[in-house]
Amino acid sequence: MKKPVEQIPVTVITEPGRLLALDADTALLRLPANSGHGHDDGSSCIACAMRTDVRALLFDLLEEAKQGLRPKFTKVMVDASAVPDTSVVVAALTGKLPAQALRDHTVARLFYLAGTG
Amino acid sequence: MSQSNDAHIPDWNEVRASLAKAARERILILDGAMGTMIQRQKLTEENFRGTRFKDWTLPLQGNNDLLVITEPRMIEDIHFDYFMAGADIAETNTFSATSVAQADYACESAVYDINYQGVIVARRAALRAEAADGRRRYVAGALGPTNKTSSMSTDVNSPGHRAITFDQLVVAYGEAIRGLVDAGADLLLFETITDTLNTKAGIFAAQRLFEERGIDVPIMISGTITDLSGRTLSGQTPTAFWYSVRHANPLTIGLNCALGANAMRAHLAELSDTADTFICAYPNAGLPNAFGQYDESPEFMAEQIEGFAASGYVNIVGGCCGSTPDHIRAIAQAVSKHKPRVVPEAQKFLRLSGLEPFTLTPEIPFVNVGERTNVTGSARFRKLITAGDYTAALDVARDQVANGAQVIDINMDEGLIDSKQVMIDFLNLLAAEPDIAKVPLMIDSSKWDVIEAGLKCVQGKALVNSISMKEGEEQFLHYARLVRAYGAAVVVMAFDEQGQADTLERKVEICTRAYKLLTEVVGFPPEDIVFDPNVFAVATGIEEHNGYGVAFIEATKIITDTLPHVHISGGISNLSFSFRGNEPVREAMHAVFLYYAIQNGMDMGIVNAGQLAVYESIDPELRDACEDVILNRNPEATDRLLALAERYRGTAGKEAAAKDMSWREGTVEERISYALVNGITEFIDADTEEARQKLPRPLHVIEGPLMAGMSVVGDLFGSGKMFLPQVVKSARVMKQAVALLLPYMEAEKNADGNATGRQSAGKVLMATVKGDVHDIGKNIVGVVLSCNNYEIIDLGVMVPTAKILQTAKELNVDIIGLSGLITPSLDEMVHVAAEMEREGFDIPLLIGGATTSRVHTAVKIHPRYERGQAVHVNDASRAVGVVGNLLSKDTKVAFIEDIRAEYAKAAAAHERAESEKQRVPLAKARANAFKPDWTGYTPPKPSFLGTRVFEEFDLETLAKYIDWTPFFQTWELKGRYPAILEDERQGEAARQLFDDAQAMLKQIIDEKWFRPRAVVGFWPANADGDDIRLFTDEGRAEELATLFTLRQQLSKRDGKPNMALADFVAPAGIPDYMGGFVVTAGIEEVAIAERFERANDDYSSILVKALADRFAEAFAEAMHEKVRKELWGYGADEAFSPDDLIAESYRGIRPAPGYPAQPDHTEKTTLFRLLDAEKNAGVTLTESFAMWPGSSVSGVYFSHPESYYFGVAKVERDQVIDYARRKNMPVAEVERWLGPILNYIPGPAIVAAE
Repeated sequence: MKKPVEQIPVTVITEPGRLLALDADTALLRLPANSGHGHDDGSSCIACAMRTDVRALLFDLLEEAKQGLRPKFTKVMVDASAVPDTSVVVAALTGKLPAQALRDHTVARLFYLAGTG
Repeated sequence: MSQSNDAHIPDWNEVRASLAKAARERILILDGAMGTMIQRQKLTEENFRGTRFKDWTLPLQGNNDLLVITEPRMIEDIHFDYFMAGADIAETNTFSATSVAQADYACESAVYDINYQGVIVARRAALRAEAADGRRRYVAGALGPTNKTSSMSTDVNSPGHRAITFDQLVVAYGEAIRGLVDAGADLLLFETITDTLNTKAGIFAAQRLFEERGIDVPIMISGTITDLSGRTLSGQTPTAFWYSVRHANPLTIGLNCALGANAMRAHLAELSDTADTFICAYPNAGLPNAFGQYDESPEFMAEQIEGFAASGYVNIVGGCCGSTPDHIRAIAQAVSKHKPRVVPEAQKFLRLSGLEPFTLTPEIPFVNVGERTNVTGSARFRKLITAGDYTAALDVARDQVANGAQVIDINMDEGLIDSKQVMIDFLNLLAAEPDIAKVPLMIDSSKWDVIEAGLKCVQGKALVNSISMKEGEEQFLHYARLVRAYGAAVVVMAFDEQGQADTLERKVEICTRAYKLLTEVVGFPPEDIVFDPNVFAVATGIEEHNGYGVAFIEATKIITDTLPHVHISGGISNLSFSFRGNEPVREAMHAVFLYYAIQNGMDMGIVNAGQLAVYESIDPELRDACEDVILNRNPEATDRLLALAERYRGTAGKEAAAKDMSWREGTVEERISYALVNGITEFIDADTEEARQKLPRPLHVIEGPLMAGMSVVGDLFGSGKMFLPQVVKSARVMKQAVALLLPYMEAEKNADGNATGRQSAGKVLMATVKGDVHDIGKNIVGVVLSCNNYEIIDLGVMVPTAKILQTAKELNVDIIGLSGLITPSLDEMVHVAAEMEREGFDIPLLIGGATTSRVHTAVKIHPRYERGQAVHVNDASRAVGVVGNLLSKDTKVAFIEDIRAEYAKAAAAHERAESEKQRVPLAKARANAFKPDWTGYTPPKPSFLGTRVFEEFDLETLAKYIDWTPFFQTWELKGRYPAILEDERQGEAARQLFDDAQAMLKQIIDEKWFRPRAVVGFWPANADGDDIRLFTDEGRAEELATLFTLRQQLSKRDGKPNMALADFVAPAGIPDYMGGFVVTAGIEEVAIAERFERANDDYSSILVKALADRFAEAFAEAMHEKVRKELWGYGADEAFSPDDLIAESYRGIRPAPGYPAQPDHTEKTTLFRLLDAEKNAGVTLTESFAMWPGSSVSGVYFSHPESYYFGVAKVERDQVIDYARRKNMPVAEVERWLGPILNYIPGPAIVAAE
């Protein structure tokens, strides 16, 4: 029988100061506050959209680990305390935000939202 | 608005030449960001609206593209500033000006004007700049990616979904491009590409317009890479992306956007290395910082871009988001010190791509194309696809790639499925699997529309298999142009109006002609052409065939020598067709053939690499003989190889084993083991008796040598070295031995009350459920389990639930196994499961049989039996492992946990897959019914009306109509007959089985074992909506019966109708007819099978049942032919061989109630009444509408020339309610019979509140 892929749990921290000590096998991802590229309000080019998209950044974490740029990890802690609207982060991690790239499908398969705090 | 007045239409060939010349002399400058400059103007809603959009209902602020209409002077000035800062090329302010992206503002109607005016304002700026400094400026019409993607789903829970299709994008891009071209844009620039397939649609639209107008506007293409993996958003590497769009013959390829110049460098280097055209790069001005500003100053950005120039990566540079005229000025100055990149000459290699590139370089001697995702080549894949199990079908594709296939062949040419839709669905799902989608695809179909639909789904550069000049030159050119327009490479068969090329001259002539047409008329790159010059069988005994091998090899040489850069492919297995069954000789022939063909230029093929012998390791004598044959070196070659072949046949055949009697010299234990493994009953009585005398107690014989031998059998079966028919034969030996020992064991027990009986590994109760009569599969599983020391309690067929449960309690069984073949049995199994739950059972429940599935078990049965565990066992070979795991204390818990996890996943995947299939309301489906043209068509009249009985049918004649492929499937030997006889793994088992079947067939015929009977009827008929009314006579006044049909509710694309069987019958007013039939191989089979069972010969019992089934099917086929040629008579002049009949190439169909075209089994009642089948053929229906005796076939005849087999698939509640009303049957009852095809959960409909 084929083994299902081991999914990586992601915990999202929404309030500043809630971040506790991390285990060695946990990767920390700090989401920047929404930032533009000198675009109009509300619009952004795909490059800067990617800078604040938790899925794109999780994919980069995987890629970093794959390229040996960081240690391998089995859990992820996302610090979203700087993000004005964390519901977007939660939506992205629960498959409710439209996928923008193939990597979003990969991330949806490999990660799951384990909790928020 | 009169627009053509301001338009300046350039000579695009001159533009191309002058730009190319300039780009070779210096690094050209593209302008910078438009959005950044607009933002500085602090515009208000009123600026965006202007006068034209004054009363627009939606807010328009942010729709920057509108400004070319509402603030033209402002946009012109921005362009002018960039030109004066050093830009040679301006991009029009039209990034979002497609109907797709403008839909956000409801501004679709303004799309053409925006594009047109976008060029006009940029041109004005260009003219001003040229007047100011005398340097020529160019205007590039910018085309953004749109805000939708065609190569992937936006919903991660539904990866097969698409928000937009290729065709829709062609329309949207076409409109935008027309605006740009009409206004005289010098260039078209596809930029910020996030989805390569979108761009391919844009290129397609552009080229169509160019062709229409006889123009050729230079194209620039620019992709975007934003993440560390170095992939585009749609997942491609830079080179794969380049290969995908190279057919546009773009003036530049490059990258823009991205996180600053530095992040782009490595990807630019890769493109610069491979692309044989100019490179254009215009990154963002760095990363956004915490204050929403970009952090690269003009100087810093210029320094980075100067780095590109110094490395020789670029021909054109500019800036994207965040850049300003200051940035452009600094960049222009910085790169002016450097020479532009020298465009490398690309070698003419076949370059394909999936998410990753594949280049057929000379270092790759032979491309092995993966063949397992081809429904015509792989029975397993066909099954998965027809069952809609895409998850497992994708696993097949994944395994191929994991096993090293460089390209995978996808073929969905199967009569019973909607090949085109399935091709689309499968490719769309495949696109979301990066580990499969990384390789290029071969889109394979004999139907052009399937190929074309496939090409519209793939972002990579695919290979089309195949086109030819079969339908003439014009059609060939048409297909070739389209293949090119979709950006694919092509396999061309050596086939023309006269037929397939068989001689060297014809092969070369056709390929040469095709090459000239492709390269000279179409402009097809020669390296993208793969010729298949046809491999035919040699050594057939027919003299003309002797030259086929050498013709192919010589043709390969001449074609590759005289037609530069082309490739050669072919299907190798045809070559050795006359040596079917002699695997060593075939392998040697293939190896020799490839050895020469590859030397002469063959470099691709759909072959099973694992089956190829190594040329050097072939026995020199055999190799020499093969070479004589393949190279046609002398007239005696065939005879010599034939003579030699006999010697090799033994190494794979059974003769060697039969003749070699040395095994009789071993110990009695060794002899018993040998007899068991080889299924030899001849000596087993004597050997068992000898063992009994040797060992202290008769039980020791069983537990000693017999079990030891069977455990060897079990191991060989488990590891795939023995096959089902062989195991069943081993079981026969075992049973015979046990039968001999039983009386001694009984006597011992009577003499000594303490003697213990045989210890079994567990008790398994098996039954075919109520209403079903099919038991071959169940019997096979029983035999296999009994071989592994399980005690089998077989309750037979048509067993009511109460009896199953009662027996299970009384005998304290460890496991229950249910079997069934017809769809109503699925519900019966659910019922058994629910009853087990209610009565407090907790033992495992096994589910098996042809219509059962993992998904059905997971979704319908498993949830009803929570105290225990229901497990689907799809074949006998899995049964032993499953039962072993379920009954072992050590593994049970973990095994059940795995099963539950698997079922939860299967159920979720099923739900997802279902929600993706779009279905239409019944009324809409009816409006899209199949409507044949009845005018000018007179339906044929049958030779008689009413029924006729046929009792004397010659068995020998019927035997010729037998389709053997399903016979092998019964025995779990998977593959097509006759190819299965030479299969590397299963060939030996298949040949043995086939020999046994032939021997029994001869007996059946000689001794008249079966008495086949048939009844056929015809009636005047007319369609009435989805129903077919049958009348008592030609007057058509008195209704005899109504046959009800169901209509497809799948959402169809491209004008495909929503079928119902009633569509094949003419409506009232046109006299039409229908037929019906029931045939049976006879009841005799049952008694014969029982006789074998009593003689402990399960093998022969199963064999006779399987043959009776084949006879019934053959009878149905023969009867259908008689109907077409004689009884109905419309096909009087057809002349098909039995093989053609199996391939269903004739006119008219004979679908059976309960099967895909009419899934309602209850319709059989009407058919049986009309035919009085019980009296006329001796066939009755069970409560589940299975036919008894089991070896029977029924169905209805349609004569319409366009009638074909289709599947109704899932139906909606509206149709079920309508159908119940027509049939005068309660809705709940209809829902019960149609349970497996309901597309909703039965129960009260949810009505929206007022």
